[in-house]
Amino acid sequence: MCCRDEKRVWPLKGASKKKGGVKMLRILGMRRMLAATIMGCLLGLYFWGFSQEKITITIQTYWRSTESTPRFIEQVLIPEFAKRYPNVEVKLVYVPGGELLPTILMQAASGTLPEIIMADNPWVPQLIEAGVFKDITREVMAALDWSDFFEGHRLVTSKDGRIYALQLHTNNLALFYRKSLLEKAGVDKVPATWDELLEACEKIKATLGIYGFVMYAAADEAGTWQFEPFLWTNGGSLLELDQPEAIEALQFLTTLVERGYMPRDVVNVTDQGDVTVRWFLTGEAAMMINGNWEFGWHLTPDVLQQLGDVGVAPIPVPKEGLKPIVPFGGECFGIASTIDPQKFAIAWEFIKLWFVEKIGEYYQWSGHIPTRASYTHMVWEAQPLQRPFLEQAQYALPRPLMGGIEKYPNVSMETILAVQKALTGTQTPQQAFIEAANKIRSLFTPEEYEMYRKMARDILDQTRARMLAGG
Amino acid sequence: MKQRELYLFVLPALVIVAAFAVYPTVYNFVLSFRDVNLISFIRGTSRFVAFSNYLEIFKDSTFQSTVLNTLVFTALSIFFQLVIGFLLALLFNYEFPLKGFLQALIMIPWVMPIIVSGSFFRWCFSDDGLLNNFLISLGLIQEPIRWITSKSLVIFSLTLANIWLGIPFNFILLYTGLRKIPEELYESAEMDGASSFQKVLYITIPLLRPVIITTVALGCIFTMKVFDLVWVVTKGGPGGASHLFSTLSYSLAFDRFQFGKSAAVLVVMLAIVLALVAWLNLMRFEEP
Repeated sequence: MCCRDEKRVWPLKGASKKKGGVKMLRILGMRRMLAATIMGCLLGLYFWGFSQEKITITIQTYWRSTESTPRFIEQVLIPEFAKRYPNVEVKLVYVPGGELLPTILMQAASGTLPEIIMADNPWVPQLIEAGVFKDITREVMAALDWSDFFEGHRLVTSKDGRIYALQLHTNNLALFYRKSLLEKAGVDKVPATWDELLEACEKIKATLGIYGFVMYAAADEAGTWQFEPFLWTNGGSLLELDQPEAIEALQFLTTLVERGYMPRDVVNVTDQGDVTVRWFLTGEAAMMINGNWEFGWHLTPDVLQQLGDVGVAPIPVPKEGLKPIVPFGGECFGIASTIDPQKFAIAWEFIKLWFVEKIGEYYQWSGHIPTRASYTHMVWEAQPLQRPFLEQAQYALPRPLMGGIEKYPNVSMETILAVQKALTGTQTPQQAFIEAANKIRSLFTPEEYEMYRKMARDILDQTRARMLAGG
Repeated sequence: MKQRELYLFVLPALVIVAAFAVYPTVYNFVLSFRDVNLISFIRGTSRFVAFSNYLEIFKDSTFQSTVLNTLVFTALSIFFQLVIGFLLALLFNYEFPLKGFLQALIMIPWVMPIIVSGSFFRWCFSDDGLLNNFLISLGLIQEPIRWITSKSLVIFSLTLANIWLGIPFNFILLYTGLRKIPEELYESAEMDGASSFQKVLYITIPLLRPVIITTVALGCIFTMKVFDLVWVVTKGGPGGASHLFSTLSYSLAFDRFQFGKSAAVLVVMLAIVLALVAWLNLMRFEEP
């Protein structure tokens, strides 16, 4: 329209000044009106859009949408939050497990952190140190009972008395076994000590020709985490790998491989839910070390019912009378330090909804193990298979504090590499651990090393004392 | 067109190259001289440490075995990929039944995602895996061969897998080159009484020389930077015995948060790749 007008109007300029001038003025006026109308519309649209604009809060996790926690967020928390805050949109973003930490690092470096950050608990002390999390001490103290969290979880999410994150749930490791396979092999008691485990494996190998025992020993943090119960229960420490307690623990696992009780392929498993679980489900292995998350993953109620013979027991200990000391897993949530005050208030409201109002419902829904003493009974009653995990949870240890905090990732890698060398026969357990201990020592200054070594030793000794006192 | 206008046309490409190739490379180079860990990476407070990252990695036994691994992996991969690819190309230069179908089959390793073929190889090479079961059932071996659980064998098993993966690429480049050689040359050679072997030796190979060198150069680049295959099959294990530069660098950065050392490993890798490719490029322009 406008273009056609233009063609007609402008040639009039010189031809008939008066007539053309009037016409032009009229048209110019129309054009102004048109422009004003358009401007008005645009401004209207802009302000309308502004009033309708949603504030977006992003939660970033590594859980696949089929897992119980993201389903809880999507189906319970987000709808409830939307009712209370209609102009807030809560978005759940998935980042694959191995990518989450690198993603957080890049986001932190480029100032693009999501509002609510999930982090696996071993990363938390470092992320606190790096200033990724906002201090939420005041909010936490006002909203819930901080001392209700088990000690390990308080240690891992706070620094110098300030709270930076909250641990949602916890998990740890125990021995899963197939009753029918043990019976067929003539093992009448679930092995509780290392000797009993060796004996049971021998019977299983001789009568059934299958592996007695499997665990995860790939070259990553999860590999170290599965080794830690053997190390710690025997009194060993990641910062004293060249000591007899540590070497004995590794020697024990090496013996399992050497005698053909455990496949050497455990060093090349992709993750804890991979082939070890398959071996266990298909009856190629009678026992496995795994975590309680398996109840929400592969060992779901229908699978358990089909198999009909899955039991759970504490991880076998070196000597009778001991109890296993396990590391704890589980994810923590915090708020990005870069957040603006308005969004911070909203993000905290969301965390409060979850960690204060809906936490009981969450534990019931997900079957995860509570990080707080006052909720433990809920799972104890509902899920008897979880009991070994629940019992261990209160004494479970925070990994970074047991291995040099910010150097823990390095300590952990040196440990699992040495474990792999021993399991594959590249080195003897003693050689492997002496070498690893030297490498670990060289990561620190002598003073630092001594401080962290003592920290780990103290936590371990205190935990053992608490366990004895607790019966 | 004026010179200035010409530069304008190049500008978009220059910007992209600068942003996505030059900047990361330079940044990586800078990182390799700094002590960067998780905390200093986020806060931007890393220290300049001159060559200490390099000195430390050179002293590290894992790095030493990584250098050896990468050389063995690259040299064997390229040699066998080239030879097998060349033989296949010679074969497919003739007409025979089902040629098109078989040609498509050869391309399969190339179109398959590495995560799939890698998982297959992990299963195939494991102690209780396909390959051992097969060899035992044939009675060729008694005890399983520890393809990927033995320190000394693992890199060769991975090389074997990589050769399989790289054959299609070599085949397709050499095959295309082969089709461009004029038929008359072979005909006149035949008139002179040349045998098939002589034809390959005196006509095919000399005329294919530029193509072969390009294939080897590209192969060097592709093989040196292989990451996914090793990561999927062994994660660089057991005990760090099968690391290549790429996996070692990744592990240093994201398992251990030693970004400075990780960058140093990549600088060493880049230097080796550049040197190799430069040498190959020189060869390409020399007369045989």
